[in-house]
Amino acid sequence: MSGTKVRTIRWVIQLLFLGLFVLAFIETRYPLPVTFQNLFFRFDPLILLIVSIALRAVASAFLLALFVIAATLVFGRFFCGFICPLGTTIDIADSFVRRKRTHASGLRPVKYFILIFLVAAAVLSVSFLHLFEPLVILERSLTLIFYPVATFLAGFVHLGSPQVYTESALALLVLATILGLSLFSERFWCRNLCPLGGLLALCSKFAVFKFSFGAGCTGCGVCENICPTGAISVEHARIDAAECIDCLRCVYECPPAVFRYRLAPAPSPSTMDLSRRHLIGALGTSIICAPLARTLLHQRLSDRLIRPPGSIPERDFLNACIHCGKCMKVCPTNGLQPCVLEAGIGGLWTPRLAARIGGCEKNCSMCGQVCPTGAIRKLDPEEKTYAKMGTAVIDRTRCIAWEQDRVCLICDEACPYGAISSLSETIRGTTLLRPFIDEQICTGCGLCEARCPIEGRAAIEIFSIGEERMRYDPYITEEKIRRRACEEKEEDLPAGFITDN
Amino acid sequence: MEKITRREFVKIGAGAALAALLPKSLMRADRPAGSGPLIGVAGGDNSKLVRAAVDLVGGIDKFIKPGGVICIKPNLSFSSNNDCGTTTNPLVVKQMVELCLEAGASRVIVMDHTIHQAELCVERSGIKEAIIDRKVSLVTLQQERQYAEIDVPRGTDTELSKIKIAKAIQDADLLVNMPVAKSHSATGVSLGLKALMGLIWDRGYLHRVALDQAIAELGTVIKPGLTLIDATRALTTGGPGGPGKTLILDKVVAGTDPVAVDSYTVGLAPWYGKAWTGNQVKHIRAAAGLGLGEIDPAKMQIRESKV
Repeated sequence: MSGTKVRTIRWVIQLLFLGLFVLAFIETRYPLPVTFQNLFFRFDPLILLIVSIALRAVASAFLLALFVIAATLVFGRFFCGFICPLGTTIDIADSFVRRKRTHASGLRPVKYFILIFLVAAAVLSVSFLHLFEPLVILERSLTLIFYPVATFLAGFVHLGSPQVYTESALALLVLATILGLSLFSERFWCRNLCPLGGLLALCSKFAVFKFSFGAGCTGCGVCENICPTGAISVEHARIDAAECIDCLRCVYECPPAVFRYRLAPAPSPSTMDLSRRHLIGALGTSIICAPLARTLLHQRLSDRLIRPPGSIPERDFLNACIHCGKCMKVCPTNGLQPCVLEAGIGGLWTPRLAARIGGCEKNCSMCGQVCPTGAIRKLDPEEKTYAKMGTAVIDRTRCIAWEQDRVCLICDEACPYGAISSLSETIRGTTLLRPFIDEQICTGCGLCEARCPIEGRAAIEIFSIGEERMRYDPYITEEKIRRRACEEKEEDLPAGFITDN
Repeated sequence: MEKITRREFVKIGAGAALAALLPKSLMRADRPAGSGPLIGVAGGDNSKLVRAAVDLVGGIDKFIKPGGVICIKPNLSFSSNNDCGTTTNPLVVKQMVELCLEAGASRVIVMDHTIHQAELCVERSGIKEAIIDRKVSLVTLQQERQYAEIDVPRGTDTELSKIKIAKAIQDADLLVNMPVAKSHSATGVSLGLKALMGLIWDRGYLHRVALDQAIAELGTVIKPGLTLIDATRALTTGGPGGPGKTLILDKVVAGTDPVAVDSYTVGLAPWYGKAWTGNQVKHIRAAAGLGLGEIDPAKMQIRESKV
């Protein structure tokens, strides 16, 4: 097979997987049943490893990732070379970049450093996965960057509300940095930084099949120059199996065609192993960083932090959530927004309900359906309505029904649960209707806050008062059903009637 | 739409002005009961109500010229199921769409500015079953650019002087208002006049001013050529968003006089457990005060039929 042909085939496979990833992203929308949308994540061994350790329970949704581990133990890091959609994105960026040839840099062990840092932090019950996990980074970039831009542009063609997110700049910075590092060397991220690459490299080292030099090498050095990960050393006639991503470039570019893909059970000797100093450094870093990232576990400081319905208890939530942004992508009201510092430094890009932008629709529980890790539980829409996210509180000094005697009551109108009653109140002989909240019925969905007609901050806002966060227990209880059934909505006659004639 | 309604408007306005000038006793003598606006009330089989009701007020050909562009404005505001009674029965809307196509409409636009998220409202309300032909489209009015500002000549500076209303109805030949009969926590009832708030951009603004008066003033600039109130069931408490009590009425009320249709429908059900007249509903009374129509059922020509 000619080199061009092999190269074309590899591009086709890579673009196919990238296309599949993007398709899964686009199809993460209301009201499709969730089928293949999380498949990429399910095959991700790094998520399996870190989430399982951080949560102290096997993240069984990700057990498919063991296939990737097993396959890597047989065939090497083909995942990086053929499947990883971030790798493909980097390849695409690379093809636009002209750079001076660079060779093996000393940064390569950094990926192991990051991997150990992630594992150690997870042992300390803090997940930093969101900062380094390649699939998560790409998924989040699609949500926070691609999606707002795409819907904005689509708005010129047909009607449709553009999605907006309160934090897209940092996400853009991360993606731009990863792609921009191509200026220094090809696949800079993959060879030096990616912890998933690091994990697969550890397996690949023991791969059953490896590339190796056959007879006839003229020492021309072509392979060394074109290897995207710098895995080849002509001088030692050796390919570092941990670094090799099975891209086949050397195979078809080598003038005398000396490379062979062969059964080679012995582990590949690697020059890039993590030193003891690095190991200690990584452990030390995690011991310092992990406690510092847990700044806002104490929710008394953030009573406006409303998590999606069915979110597990905050400590577990932060361990389980990989900050991928799927829930924010799928939220039909655009109400789920990325935290910046609302949930502390470790909660960057975790979802919160920004009810002023959009409330939580009664008949939707898509966020839990798409959450790949179960940080938001899979509830059916019925059970979701029992998962209390918080409670609405009226600021009577700003409410125009309370303060300016207007016939407003839009909050009452917007509430699908009948938690807001319009009750009359007489002051100095004048009877007017005022909104009152039944905190037993209010689920904290925030539809009232979204609709409140006053300018700026709403006069009715959701606070985390009374929020229910449970990891396993059912949200529907007999007590709640009884309460909801017998709670006849108390309501005085609307002001729109004239009663005295 | 504009021409017909304007002419009607002038007639009604002139009538009202005349009525105001005349002594009451004289006016009664002049206008015996039964010469006022036509109200068609069809009851019975929900799948035949619309045609029957429209026939009672003159038949569809009176309203639609072949090639006309028709806007139908049901209530799709809430993402709740049809049986909650918060949105217009899709079966009723579907019949109207069929009638329009039969009469030779070139385009039928079914539209509303929803309160809950549009996609969910459309899905839950079941309205898609009304989209039966390529000439029929479903539009949710969630974008500001779908609106154009107009003056409200008869509005007051304190309530409405300018307002952004849907461009689509400004271009259409006929606007058919198809609200659902329901209670409303602020305005008492939400019928045809209140439903016009689904055709403006900033509905919150109306709540910030004197709501009842503002609704009446809105009625001076948005004039449906035909109002069909879906009273197949009425949400008599807990409106407009529910949950509340629904009362099965199996009726559709039709008419060209927006005040008369509303006022008649007020009498069809007990709202909040009490009987009311149109005159006791502030925004309907305010609309009648602006000369938008007849509020006294005794002066309407009410035609009923069973199907």
